[in-house]
Amino acid sequence: MSTDSLTAGKPTRRKSTHAATPEPQVPDTPPRRKGLSERNRPLWMLIPGGLLMVIIIVLPMLLGIYMSSLDLDQYSLRQWVSAPFIGVQNFVEALTGSPLLHAIWLSVSYSLIAMVVTIPLGIAAAVATQNAFKGRALVRSIFLVPYVLPSFVVATVWRTMFQPGSVIDSALHSVGINAGLWLNGPQSYWTLILVQIWASWPFVYLLALSGLQSVDHEVHEASALDGALWWNKLRYVVFPYLKGPLSLAFLIGMLHHINNFTLPFVLFGVPAPSDVELLPTLTYVTSFQSFRFGLSAAMAFISLILIAIPLFIYLRAVKLDDAETPGGKK
Amino acid sequence: MKFASSAKLAAVVVSAALALTACGGSGNSGSSSGAVDGKGKKLSVLTGVNAQYSAQQKQWFTDIAAKFKAQTGADIEFETFASANDELTRIQTSVVSGQGPDVYSLGTTFTPTAYATKAFVTLSDDDWNKVGGKSRFNQAALGISGPDAQHQAGIPFVSRPFVMAYNKDLLAAAGIDKPATTWDELEAQAKKMTNPATGTYGLATGYKDNYDPWKFIWAMSVQAGNPLVDGKTLKLDDPAVKKAYETYFGWLTKDKVVDPASVGWSNSNAVAAFASGKAGYLMMTTSSSLPTLEKSAVAGKYAYATMPTAAPGDSSPKGDAANAASILSGDNVVVADYSKQKDLAFAYINLITSKDEQLNFQKIFGDLPANADALKSLANPQLQPVADTAAKSKATPFTGAWGDIQLALMNVTVQSIPDLAKGSVDDSALESRLKDAQSKGQASLDRASK
Repeated sequence: MSTDSLTAGKPTRRKSTHAATPEPQVPDTPPRRKGLSERNRPLWMLIPGGLLMVIIIVLPMLLGIYMSSLDLDQYSLRQWVSAPFIGVQNFVEALTGSPLLHAIWLSVSYSLIAMVVTIPLGIAAAVATQNAFKGRALVRSIFLVPYVLPSFVVATVWRTMFQPGSVIDSALHSVGINAGLWLNGPQSYWTLILVQIWASWPFVYLLALSGLQSVDHEVHEASALDGALWWNKLRYVVFPYLKGPLSLAFLIGMLHHINNFTLPFVLFGVPAPSDVELLPTLTYVTSFQSFRFGLSAAMAFISLILIAIPLFIYLRAVKLDDAETPGGKK
Repeated sequence: MKFASSAKLAAVVVSAALALTACGGSGNSGSSSGAVDGKGKKLSVLTGVNAQYSAQQKQWFTDIAAKFKAQTGADIEFETFASANDELTRIQTSVVSGQGPDVYSLGTTFTPTAYATKAFVTLSDDDWNKVGGKSRFNQAALGISGPDAQHQAGIPFVSRPFVMAYNKDLLAAAGIDKPATTWDELEAQAKKMTNPATGTYGLATGYKDNYDPWKFIWAMSVQAGNPLVDGKTLKLDDPAVKKAYETYFGWLTKDKVVDPASVGWSNSNAVAAFASGKAGYLMMTTSSSLPTLEKSAVAGKYAYATMPTAAPGDSSPKGDAANAASILSGDNVVVADYSKQKDLAFAYINLITSKDEQLNFQKIFGDLPANADALKSLANPQLQPVADTAAKSKATPFTGAWGDIQLALMNVTVQSIPDLAKGSVDDSALESRLKDAQSKGQASLDRASK
């Protein structure tokens, strides 16, 4: 979902700005290559898609923002349009009277830790299966198993294994470790990270693999002729190709982790232990257990902004759609 | 120029789309006008899916639909929801859009929240007559149909009172001749039956269950004379509530009469432990555990009993405590206020709450009838204690804030579980959690009484 909008939405916008302001400083370079294809582009054909985007994304979002200014709860739900307007009170309550900031901190930190661990894992797996060997197809398929399993199944199985006195406890016990509670208390935070890593590293692996595929054969040959050993080859020849796909993986992974509801919900249930009271769980409980729809809309909006700011800066910084970056070619 | 032409086109497309959606909207609204004769009509009923007896439930749907068709000439369309959250989503969308099922099945504790949305019919005397009269129902079951006797929206359908089951062999082996009637006695008996060496424990209960813990706290507090909600005041900071938590946690930390693994158990784990013969008492269960237990190692060796009604520290029930053996539990049916065929809906409810249908339902699914005659004529002696408890059940406070209060009570247990696992719950930590629960619940109660 977010992939589509990121990759599909951006380039068109960028091109159109180029079209509006041609760069006069570089007169000796030939006129822009895509000039012909940009002329008479049937932009109106975007209308059906654009209309759908407005109906499915923009309108509900505006509605959500409007809701966040209403005192909307179970008592006013039925006539929700006439629910009392209370301005920014919901935002004030979300920031000062609810565990929202704590939840944001937990969500962001857990996502970051999980991403930082999964990236090397994914690269290692991709590099390991890059050269052909017997049974490579099988290994590659097995690597994808965690990724294709539904989140609900992953969480249910892990929850069963993490039960007190269940397999993990008895396995650790047999080597003399008494690990304590996994699904409650401070350790639950690390349980969540562990399961998230398990479930999401194949995604990084997939994107790293796609990056490796784009390394031209000549480059390998050239570096071999220059006498580069494997580490130098990896570091100076292969990794630059991975920068684009991995940045994308990092971005999408972070967004996915921060928005992941199924995993913590199934693993820990509600009310969640305070160590894993994440952003989606908190918004869910506020909305569907406490019926504070206005307050939860405010929470969702605050978190949207908080995520959007670094996202925006990041997008500008990495320029995912930049055709000059090696990894982003084609 | 280019832009202008595409803008024009955009305007055309937009207005076309608007016209289309407008058509779609108006196409829906032309539904039927209300006549008592249901020929050619279709009643939409939303009810919980019964995972345990799904084939039987499908059969029941078919049978009831046939009978309803014979009576009124109308068809029924049954829809099911898989979980309380599913149901909630359906209710919310229906409430906002003003269209959806005509009849809903609601859990009792959810009825106050649903009532607060004002989206369901508050029954007049006339309406009650259409469903067979108020006197048809077990009067205790009406306790959570509305805020008072004049304003009731929930029509009792089945009762599912909470009881305990006990292992007759284990009790006899420990020299206990009858099940406990006070919480103190229960604790003493449980101690006698506990033998960690053989993995046998006095009580089986799940501390990680999503509902059970608050029911214990509610019961012990109410029995000690604290109804939790007193008008506009929440009383979770009362000593009785703290004592209830201490007793409930104490089974694990002080008395050590429950399996230490139960910090991670839900109710079904507790049922499994009892079914394997490793527990003297199975706490907080309903008659729906009967099919499981009948096929287990304890078949023929167990019986149900009413849970203790004397608060911890009391030697006999004080005041009205004897009538707080269980929360008033089961299902109510409600009729949507937006429904254009309310009479048909009442006719359906009249059918399913009739004595014969209620007895039939009990036989298939195990839930007790809400119909008073049907309840009286129950023949199975095993269910007698459960039926007795149905008459001794007390409604949880009827307020839209109850969902939050329940959540706050649950949260105290959830946050205490790490302490429980370590073997002791720190007194000041418990107090601060209770304080937190009190302030959150009170805030919600303030909103409810606004």
